[in-house]
Amino acid sequence: MVRGSLFIKSLRDMRKSKAQFISIFIMATLAVFIMTGLDSIWFTVEKHADAMYRSANMSDLWVTVPNPSEQMVWGISKLDGVKLAEKRFTADADTALPGSPTLHVYALDGRSTLDQPEIHEGKFSKSGGAVLDISFAKAHNLKTGDYISIKLNSRWLRLKIDGLALSGEHVFAVKNSASLAPNHSEYGFIIINTDALKSIYGQKIYNQISVKTLPGSDIPQLVQKVGAVVGNNLIGITLQKDNGSVSSVNSRIQQFRTLSVVFPILFLLVTALITQSTMVRMIENQRSQIGILKALGYSKRSILWHYTSYGVMVGVLGSVLGLLTGPNIFGRIMVRQLNLTLNSYSLKINYLHFVFVLILILICTGGVSFLACRKLLSDAPAFLLRDKPPKSGQHIFLESISSVWEKMKFSSKLIARNMVKNKGRLIMSTIGVMGCTGVIISALTVRSTLSGISDYTYGTTFTFNQKIVLDTSKVNSTYLKNLELDGITQQIEETAVQVIFPDGSYKMELTNITTKESPLIYLQDIDGNPVSIPENGVLMTRKLCKEKGLKKGDIIQIKIKDKGYAAVPIEEIAYIASGQGIYMTDTYWESLGETFKPSALLVRWNGEPDQKFLDRDIVSDSATRESMQDGLSSSLGVVNLAVLFLIVLGSSLAFVVLYNTGMLNYVERVRDLATFRVLGFHNREIQYLVLIENYFSVLLGMLSGIPVGRFISWLIASTIDERLDLLGNIKLMDVLIAGAMTALFAWIVNKVIAHKMKELDIFEALKSVE
Amino acid sequence: MDFITFENVEREYCIGSSVIKAVDGINFKLQKGTFNVVLGQSGAGKTTLLNLLGGMDSPTSGRIIVNSKEISGMSEYDLTEYRRTQIGFVFQFYNLVPNLTALENVQLAEEICPEPLDARDMLKRVGLGSRMDNFPSQLSGGEQQRVSIARALAKNPQIVLCDEPTGALDSETGRKVLRLIREVSDDLGKTVIVVTHNASISEMAHTVLHMRDGKIARVQCNDNLKDVGEIVW
Repeated sequence: MVRGSLFIKSLRDMRKSKAQFISIFIMATLAVFIMTGLDSIWFTVEKHADAMYRSANMSDLWVTVPNPSEQMVWGISKLDGVKLAEKRFTADADTALPGSPTLHVYALDGRSTLDQPEIHEGKFSKSGGAVLDISFAKAHNLKTGDYISIKLNSRWLRLKIDGLALSGEHVFAVKNSASLAPNHSEYGFIIINTDALKSIYGQKIYNQISVKTLPGSDIPQLVQKVGAVVGNNLIGITLQKDNGSVSSVNSRIQQFRTLSVVFPILFLLVTALITQSTMVRMIENQRSQIGILKALGYSKRSILWHYTSYGVMVGVLGSVLGLLTGPNIFGRIMVRQLNLTLNSYSLKINYLHFVFVLILILICTGGVSFLACRKLLSDAPAFLLRDKPPKSGQHIFLESISSVWEKMKFSSKLIARNMVKNKGRLIMSTIGVMGCTGVIISALTVRSTLSGISDYTYGTTFTFNQKIVLDTSKVNSTYLKNLELDGITQQIEETAVQVIFPDGSYKMELTNITTKESPLIYLQDIDGNPVSIPENGVLMTRKLCKEKGLKKGDIIQIKIKDKGYAAVPIEEIAYIASGQGIYMTDTYWESLGETFKPSALLVRWNGEPDQKFLDRDIVSDSATRESMQDGLSSSLGVVNLAVLFLIVLGSSLAFVVLYNTGMLNYVERVRDLATFRVLGFHNREIQYLVLIENYFSVLLGMLSGIPVGRFISWLIASTIDERLDLLGNIKLMDVLIAGAMTALFAWIVNKVIAHKMKELDIFEALKSVE
Repeated sequence: MDFITFENVEREYCIGSSVIKAVDGINFKLQKGTFNVVLGQSGAGKTTLLNLLGGMDSPTSGRIIVNSKEISGMSEYDLTEYRRTQIGFVFQFYNLVPNLTALENVQLAEEICPEPLDARDMLKRVGLGSRMDNFPSQLSGGEQQRVSIARALAKNPQIVLCDEPTGALDSETGRKVLRLIREVSDDLGKTVIVVTHNASISEMAHTVLHMRDGKIARVQCNDNLKDVGEIVW
């Protein structure tokens, strides 16, 4: 029975201070929601992607080399730390489907074991048939048993679709670094048997060596040794982590990992502060009750548990609700939005982090109540039953400036004193508002920087109105020069070049080789000054330089076809918003011993596009600047959604915090306020006394939220995507919008509290002090 | 001219399904500038009467006229104005704002009243000239009640209402506080109504309203007022 009546008491107590309990409950829910939600996003992606890499038996590095010899493969496989080396062929191929989409072809030997497709339908027969990308098949309504034609080496190859599959190399499937979002109707993969290449090339043909390493081997050292084995034929070595899909997936994981640290910390900080102070306050208000229970003869333990259970119950309930909703709402929606092709989207929850947060919340609720209660319990019941000595007023600093203090009205004095007295609470709500403003500012900033990215890229940097992709086997630079198209043209070769950085790391970098004049690509440095492509060195984009710790004048080594490496100086650094890499002039490229083979022609037409030219067979594809800009913008939709989520969560947090502190400020001063009513203060005047404090913390919080927003923006900007160079500068407009939103929330909260305050019972003033 | 008039005033409270008549058909008249006592056991309805007169509550039926104005049936806003300008209130538990000094507690009256009295003067008058900058918690009960009296009078009201002003004080202090209320209100010509269950106070009042079960059982008028010092508690 003892427990029974105490339990009923705790339920009734909770009902009595339901506002506080509900706000603690909501805060616990929000904190766990955002934590588990964000966590589940990267955790789910990481787990499923890893599983796919494992089941595909994905290589650890790919060595691109034309026609690798058997000795070469054998030599690599005998290197220390290498488990297995196999040859394969890979290339992009056109298809005869509407819209002429591109398929990335992988040709594997019948006995190959590395980089296998994950078959979901049909089979991989390895005898003439093909396995097609399941998403691509869906987009084009293709089934097993259908036929598909691909064009390799200018010849068509008709293949029967034996199976549909996923590939670990196509989890994030984009055609090239210019496209930011996968489009399954435009790009996919197809896996065929190397025997099928005979009809095209007259023999089996290979251009890549897939290498599986032993766990724990020294990859950088291995890369060097592999380079030595391959010699001058080497085109480049790609590490697994540098594979387009793998690195995109990793950058998504990294991005949400960062977010799932930053935002939960912000939320937990506020939640911890608010819950612990609310709990302490509530326990202290139960002072005489504790005295009564103790006097009645309840054991210390049952009283302690009674009060601890308040916080534990609310904390556990809130956390569980957060755990149920966070991954399922936030996680589920966001994982879908990431546009990844995984073999499963079932959500994985990082229970370790959940338990950590739960413990933290329980410390802030139950733990704090336990300590507060134990402190009170150490006093004698008789002492507890006596009135608590009223909290004394305090002289404050402002009074020492008597010229100011004397002129202040009593209400301002009261507000000033009250704020000093409750500075803890003021700080809390300030932090709450700071978090809210910070989240909103950063969310808006990320949004506007991202839309700025496409504006900058296709408004400032690229000034062509059509990019024409050429069939490189049919054109050369001189031919293009003599075309006499009606408009300004610029030839460009886009290729990937193996680079050795001063720190010894190898990477295939996107390299643009173009003419010195560069009329249609306008490069600027970070401050907006024009930068031209140097004649005796290369230009590198700012983000890449930062990543590798490079500055003007540093030397990098680039692989020259059929030769060794050439040392080239970085002569210029330019800011490129989207698409990081290296720029150099055609003459410099040729001075290194290469040939300039333009892969695309940029054109700004004087009038209508020359349709006759576009229909010629040397043109393999073309895109307008508008369509490229649209593609870039729409790929950023996922960010807008995340932004919306964060704004909603940040605002709810601010709501709860302001409501909680506002209510506390009211509830604790009911007697004073009722006295004011008796003395003839109007409701409005009393509301002012209570609520003006909220506006103070809103103002302070908004101001301190600006640097927080800046920090978060910077953090997101620097982790969001390695191909994008976001500056994360906050705009005045975004700050103003965030400020206006926060102020609006504060106003709404104050309206709600003001409404509550109308219920103020004037007779509270006449009651004896409890 | 009668300053305060109660005509058939009733106040009913619904507690659950039962109706309780806290004040049950009260009639009385009080004169301006007098010192009056409402006497009765707890539950007799004297606090309800005080609340009605103080504009904190409205009667269920009947009329209350103060200074030629009917306050029964006034709107919430007008009642607040009435409390603000006409009423000074002395509470049993002083109800000082803990966060304001003695002086500031009195000054708050200045902010809301049209013709306030000087706060410093009032505090000097109640004998607290040297404790103005102390917070309530640094003052004794008697001192706090004196601040409360200074606050009530600084509003320069027509009526001073005291709800058991000595209830929380020892008898000696209580006596001093009462004398103070009496003296200051006499000086300023205020009408005072003290609610108490302490019968001995009645000897110092012009009019004593004896209440029982929500009704006025007896109205006692004293012609020879005793000084506070002569009263035996």
